[in-house]
Amino acid sequence: MLRVRGPLNVFRRSIGIRHLVCGSCNGCEHEMNALNNAFYDITQDGWDLVASPRHADVVTVTGPMTEAMQAAARATLDAVPRPRVVVAIGDCATGDGPWQSAPAGAGAGIELGADVLVRGCPPTPDEIRAGLQAAAELLDSARRS
Amino acid sequence: MIADVVAECANGIPAGAYADAGFAHYVFLGAAGPYARSCPLGSERRLNAASQAVPLFSWDEREMAQEWGVRFVGMPDDRPLHASHGEMPAARTASGDGIMRFVVGPVHAGIIESGRFTFSSGGETVVHLDAQLGYGHRGVERALAGTAAVEAAAKVARICGGCSAARSYAYALALEALAGVEPEPEIDLARLIAAELERVYNHLADVAACASGAGYAAGFARGMALKERAMRLCREACGHRLLFDAIAPGGLGRPMLEDRLQFGSELADLERDVAAYLKGLFANASLTSRWERAGVVPPDTLQAFGAVGPAARAGGGSLDLRTFAPYGAYRRIDCAVAGATASDAFARAAVKRDELVESLTLIRRALHELGTAELPPSQFVEPRAGIALTAVEGPRGTEFVAVHADERGVIERLHVISASYRNWPLVARAMENNIVPDFPLVNKSFNLCYACADR
Repeated sequence: MLRVRGPLNVFRRSIGIRHLVCGSCNGCEHEMNALNNAFYDITQDGWDLVASPRHADVVTVTGPMTEAMQAAARATLDAVPRPRVVVAIGDCATGDGPWQSAPAGAGAGIELGADVLVRGCPPTPDEIRAGLQAAAELLDSARRS
Repeated sequence: MIADVVAECANGIPAGAYADAGFAHYVFLGAAGPYARSCPLGSERRLNAASQAVPLFSWDEREMAQEWGVRFVGMPDDRPLHASHGEMPAARTASGDGIMRFVVGPVHAGIIESGRFTFSSGGETVVHLDAQLGYGHRGVERALAGTAAVEAAAKVARICGGCSAARSYAYALALEALAGVEPEPEIDLARLIAAELERVYNHLADVAACASGAGYAAGFARGMALKERAMRLCREACGHRLLFDAIAPGGLGRPMLEDRLQFGSELADLERDVAAYLKGLFANASLTSRWERAGVVPPDTLQAFGAVGPAARAGGGSLDLRTFAPYGAYRRIDCAVAGATASDAFARAAVKRDELVESLTLIRRALHELGTAELPPSQFVEPRAGIALTAVEGPRGTEFVAVHADERGVIERLHVISASYRNWPLVARAMENNIVPDFPLVNKSFNLCYACADR
């Protein structure tokens, strides 16, 4: 029989993820979507893509940032309860992508103050997963401090 | 002048339009490939709108007006296509007794690109949908103007992730035409394999999404697992799961098909499992009956908006560039064109099912034909001054690219007309008289990109 001593904290690294697209080519979205397939299945880690920023702990952002997404992106971040972690997914978002010279921005992750940067064009599902793991650990320490 | 453009629609298949400093170029498809009828803009930059007579030019003319200052007379819809200074133009809505309006987006509940959908509905029934894209408008065409055409290939490959190989292919053909370079037959075969792999992983995701749109989670999960295997096959073929840079001007941009035995064996496994998946999925009547009569687009609407790709072929269309204006290895390897007539979600899923099977066959045949032949190194490409218009059949249909180069091989003007750009207005039409909860199904039965429409 499982004896529980003290508060059960096995769920403390479970995270709700809200995804925000700011001018991505959709390549990062293909790889983000892969996290839900049977090979990666992030729900096993207690991670879930949530349908509202109010339910989120982590916001993943992609793309260089576009003029049209500025307001919606900031409104989305404002709607996420604290503590929260922003993860920039892919070279465009981290400021290393092909559209830095475009009228677009310097990277959605840079502009939105990302806490974790996941480089790659696009990053593989395993690389994204490692970024989310880092975000979960940041949240865990923020909640305990 | 615009009268000539409208008259030309009887000879060629209208494909879109774009402007530059001096002209408005109206693009048509013929059996020899794309060609343009160009109207000088003069100092007034004033033209009669062709979209009055030919609705498919509507988005193109709105974009030309916004981005290139062309002053069109008589536009049926004269709103800017993209946001200006961060503000999206007001949505068009229906009004009347009992009509309510609601907005979804631009940020969606899931891993979906940004876009705003404004529904007008009477109860459950959608009477009008305005799909406003452009939230992903990065200004890639302006960013690429003034850069060396050959070096720009890596950026062209990253305009849209899901259509990367098709776009790289069209771009490579354009630069090779400007340089007078002809790729070797082995390169053509490797390119065919890359292009068909792209179709395979996209169509698998699309068919899976149709299952999801009808609430069939197991069909979605199995389809997405197969898509993952297709992406791993892409990595096996060229080292990149989304085929970025696999096709490049002069040849290939990555070492390809280095372990053909391994590739062939993974391909055979995937072919077998995809066939079993499709058979089971389409034998599930409670699923397919949900697809039937959902999101019907009448054939005259398809025609009026210049529908391309599986969406057009699901409604009686037969145009597939692989057979209509063949390029590369498609000039030698026959390709069966899929078709259906019902023009509903079922027909679009069925066309993609048949294309999936055909794509896997094409890959196997190309691999067999390639045998153990070495893939030659890339040829040197030095584009000369001129204009090249090229188009290939991407997963979603005609992927067109126009390249205007100067004598140094620098891009003066680059324009992309994607299949998604052509077909998006049809998604809105397909929703009319459908119920609101069917939007995910109807939308996913097209599964268009935002990135290559927004650019």
